Amino acid sequence: MEVGQMRRQWLDYTRSLFLEGFLDAQFMQLQQLQDDNNPDFVVEVVSLFFEDSERLLKDLTFALDQNAVDFKKVDAHVHQLKGSSSSIGAQRVKNACIPFRNFCEEQNTDACLRCLQQVKQEYCLVKNKLETLFRLEQQIVAAGGSIPMVELTQLSF
Amino acid sequence: MEFVDTRKLQFQPQLQPQQHQHFHVLAVDDSVIDRKLLERLLRGSSCKVTCVDSGDKALKYLGLVDELDDTTSSTSLESSSSSPPPQPLQQEGIKVNLIMTDYCMPGMSGYDLLKRVKGSSWKDVPVVIMSSENVPSRISMCLEEGAEEFLLKPLQLSDLDKLQPYFLKSLDNSCEKESANSSIDSENDDNVVIINNNNNNSISKRKVMSPEPHHERSRPKMKELAVV
Repeated sequence: MEVGQMRRQWLDYTRSLFLEGFLDAQFMQLQQLQDDNNPDFVVEVVSLFFEDSERLLKDLTFALDQNAVDFKKVDAHVHQLKGSSSSIGAQRVKNACIPFRNFCEEQNTDACLRCLQQVKQEYCLVKNKLETLFRLEQQIVAAGGSIPMVELTQLSF
Repeated sequence: MEFVDTRKLQFQPQLQPQQHQHFHVLAVDDSVIDRKLLERLLRGSSCKVTCVDSGDKALKYLGLVDELDDTTSSTSLESSSSSPPPQPLQQEGIKVNLIMTDYCMPGMSGYDLLKRVKGSSWKDVPVVIMSSENVPSRISMCLEEGAEEFLLKPLQLSDLDKLQPYFLKSLDNSCEKESANSSIDSENDDNVVIINNNNNNSISKRKVMSPEPHHERSRPKMKELAVV
């Protein structure tokens, strides 16, 4: 595949991620912050997000598995996950955290467990999508091309 | 409604020739992702950034830790003090021009940190609170306690606009401080403060009619549609 085709593929894929709600405008902020001085900024931040999220999901699983669930702790973890997903533009993960926090307040363990499932699912999805996107970027760069810069207006919502 | 493409504008505080020190921000946030984002945003504005992950560490950095432990004898912290506690770090030349802190942190909250700072000899350093939650009572509480700004997370390039007055203030400009307590509505800022790229360092507060050329990014731009 030649570079032009790869770039179009990247653009189409990016567009789909926004249209399907996996990513929101905050992700574009990250892309805007990537430049010659910070060439790997997006990958770096997203990698931090992956690490942080995996830790939080583990902690959530553990906390909800206890006989006496500490809902304050659970809520604190969800709050963190909501914040970090919001900061990188992982919209669906962020949205999955909202009902989760409500159920923490209600101290509803079963509902929390269902929310946890949902959050894990969304996290896995966005992780796969982003890893695919980064692979496409690597291919473009390896072929000597550059990654297109996306304007919000291009995504034709 | 004009589309203000603030994303394209990279704000650079104009450094006077005699200004040697960079504007130094102490950033306090327990989230590693938010620290990275904040650091990148601030470094992109030529600031020096020190990141810490808790209010306690911030106090340590500012040399205020002794006051934390001092609960029995001295009342200088709580009451209107005649002489502020000694600040060896300040005298040794560690300068902090701005403190930016997350509100919600385990242990000491951003609000607690704000109170500590405002009750210390660092009280003249502007403090900006950041939060992912838009709670009006929280915002007014922080502003009443002396916070200069309240920014909603996630932080964006356009939020740097609100910080420009503080960058300039520290460069001893004669410009007026912008009335900056309108941060509740952080999305719809019609006035964009822009630093003119000439030598007089004046702020021109105007609506941006068209985006200025932005030279930082090396990637070619593919515009299918014009910016409306």
